[in-house]
Amino acid sequence: MPSHLNVDDKYWKMAPDEIPASPMERDINTWIVGNPADPLWDIDVLPLTYSDSRWSAFVIDVPADTRQRLCPNPPLTIWDGDDAELVEYWYVMHYNTMLGPYIEFGVTISATHTDPKGNTWKAGYYPYMYLTGDAPVDAGRVLGFPKKMSYIRITEHGGEKGNDYFGFSMTRNGYLLTAQQGKYDDADVKPPFFYGKTDWGKFNMKVDTRCDVASSEWQLTYLPSKLPAAFNIEGHRFQVKPEHTRTASGDAINWFAQATPFDNMGAEIKVNAIKGLISFTFDLIIPVPEVVWTETYERPASYRGYATPYQYGLRQQFPIHQGA
Amino acid sequence: MGKQANEYSYPWLEEGEVPPLPLDRDRIHIVSQGVADPVFDYDIIPLTYTESRWMAFVVEADEANLNAIIPDPVELHDPILEFWYVIHRNTMLGPYMEFGVTASSTVKGQDGHVTKGGYYPYMYLSNDSPIFAGREPFGFPKKAAYIAAFEHGTNDNYFNMTMERRGYVFHSANGRYSDKPTPHKPTFYGKTDWGRLNYRITTYPDITRTRHQVTHLGSELPPQFGTGHRFQLDPSSVRTCTGEDVRSWYMAGTPFDFMGGQLGNVTVHGLISFTFNLIIPPASIVWERTVERDPEKDFGALLFSTPFKYTMRHRFMIPMYPGA
Repeated sequence: MPSHLNVDDKYWKMAPDEIPASPMERDINTWIVGNPADPLWDIDVLPLTYSDSRWSAFVIDVPADTRQRLCPNPPLTIWDGDDAELVEYWYVMHYNTMLGPYIEFGVTISATHTDPKGNTWKAGYYPYMYLTGDAPVDAGRVLGFPKKMSYIRITEHGGEKGNDYFGFSMTRNGYLLTAQQGKYDDADVKPPFFYGKTDWGKFNMKVDTRCDVASSEWQLTYLPSKLPAAFNIEGHRFQVKPEHTRTASGDAINWFAQATPFDNMGAEIKVNAIKGLISFTFDLIIPVPEVVWTETYERPASYRGYATPYQYGLRQQFPIHQGA
Repeated sequence: MGKQANEYSYPWLEEGEVPPLPLDRDRIHIVSQGVADPVFDYDIIPLTYTESRWMAFVVEADEANLNAIIPDPVELHDPILEFWYVIHRNTMLGPYMEFGVTASSTVKGQDGHVTKGGYYPYMYLSNDSPIFAGREPFGFPKKAAYIAAFEHGTNDNYFNMTMERRGYVFHSANGRYSDKPTPHKPTFYGKTDWGRLNYRITTYPDITRTRHQVTHLGSELPPQFGTGHRFQLDPSSVRTCTGEDVRSWYMAGTPFDFMGGQLGNVTVHGLISFTFNLIIPPASIVWERTVERDPEKDFGALLFSTPFKYTMRHRFMIPMYPGA
């Protein structure tokens, strides 16, 4: 006789203080993403806080034409003030978050948006982001972050201080996108202009496409940097713990980047110079963004996309994944 | 130290193997974010599949359990479920592994028309692009998981499947094909008047409103592809067995994935496997509702967690998306 076992434990009933009930047992007002019986992430993500994350930001000098190309205009204009050329190219190890632990990568460019009434928002805009977990990718995409999944490695280790050496890399669909290694020399490294400024937030461009692909709405979202009032803490929502900061000069960094058939970042981001690396530990709160600009692009009924049915090319052929 | 290289070339573009860079296109050709390098791009349209291998357990669940996971206005038709694994070898989204549950269901639209289809309460995949291509426009309830599913041995007589997420195995089964017919089949099998139903939930970035839609994928081939069902089976590839031939079966609810706890003590009636080609057309909306939230009154119900306090759902092995 075969052995068939169904363990029908309902964890949301076993640990009701730690796990919200299935949305199907709650008011529809509390449903945020699918599926209704068991969402990819749920209200136990909110409020979205992070503790003791470790940020490692390479500061790179990027020419203006590259920065403007990566910041879609309309509605964005690149920052043309102090340190406009400095772009953040960062990795993060998130140890404790409401979405669970994960590793993250992103690029942040200083940009502004001015609406027809003359209101101006200043923020770091993210053209690229990669993460190792499905839930934080989806939760981020709801807010407009351009997140994909990739294999990311972050290592700090060894030396006198126990974390003198560093190694970073990111791979997707079998191709290496970027890799860095080196040794902290604790040199002075100038950060991008938005660092530490509460009047500079973060921009994302969300794309909401209809299920019949007849149109897509672009939504520019703005995340403020001031802590929400409910937290009763004055200051920046990135709460840096300065005692853990390490830096490296450009000369202390080995660096490689390239485009792949699946990820164009290495071709799009032209680098004049690697200025350095700043690593720090921090707590973080991610509030709800506001939508500051929208535009809808319509497609004709005859729209057919780029593919030829049943013909699979370079971008459709890579080693099969077995999953996270 | 200080050895640095950026490889800016993009040879696949010159050779015609990849579509134009997103930032060089008209915006109608951007179907998802990031707008500089989308997680799924317009070279997936039209979305076709070749020689996928479908392995579907036929499972019966308690109707009360199923009614508790199928949201209004979708109504359960009968309790015979398709509980399926797929190896997708050639698709416009690349190769990937997939799992899903399909329940024969109906939905009455706001216009009074009744639509019949297989409703998906759960889906898991091994890759990011098909997860978000499924979730965002169509509403498929896709999450990422580790999925192993294969046939092996003499004449591929043996089968084995396992699925794991965040350190918990939540389903596994294996056995031997007897080629005896399964005693039941899902109602929608082979019927062109039964499509597929998804419950799409799209939340606006500022969380003040959420759009709920039941989306429908028809089963008839799009006209330009001929006539018949859009799942084009190779009849010579069909293998079957009964529940007695499924040597072992294990399913469990976990803190992160409620499926085993919600489906309960299911009966396994057998397995039907086949090889097929597939087209996924654009979806239509058969029912729609928007839920509005007042930040002053309604946001409190969303804040289930305590800032900076991490529970058992926030602690698990750090995910390493295996795209290396």
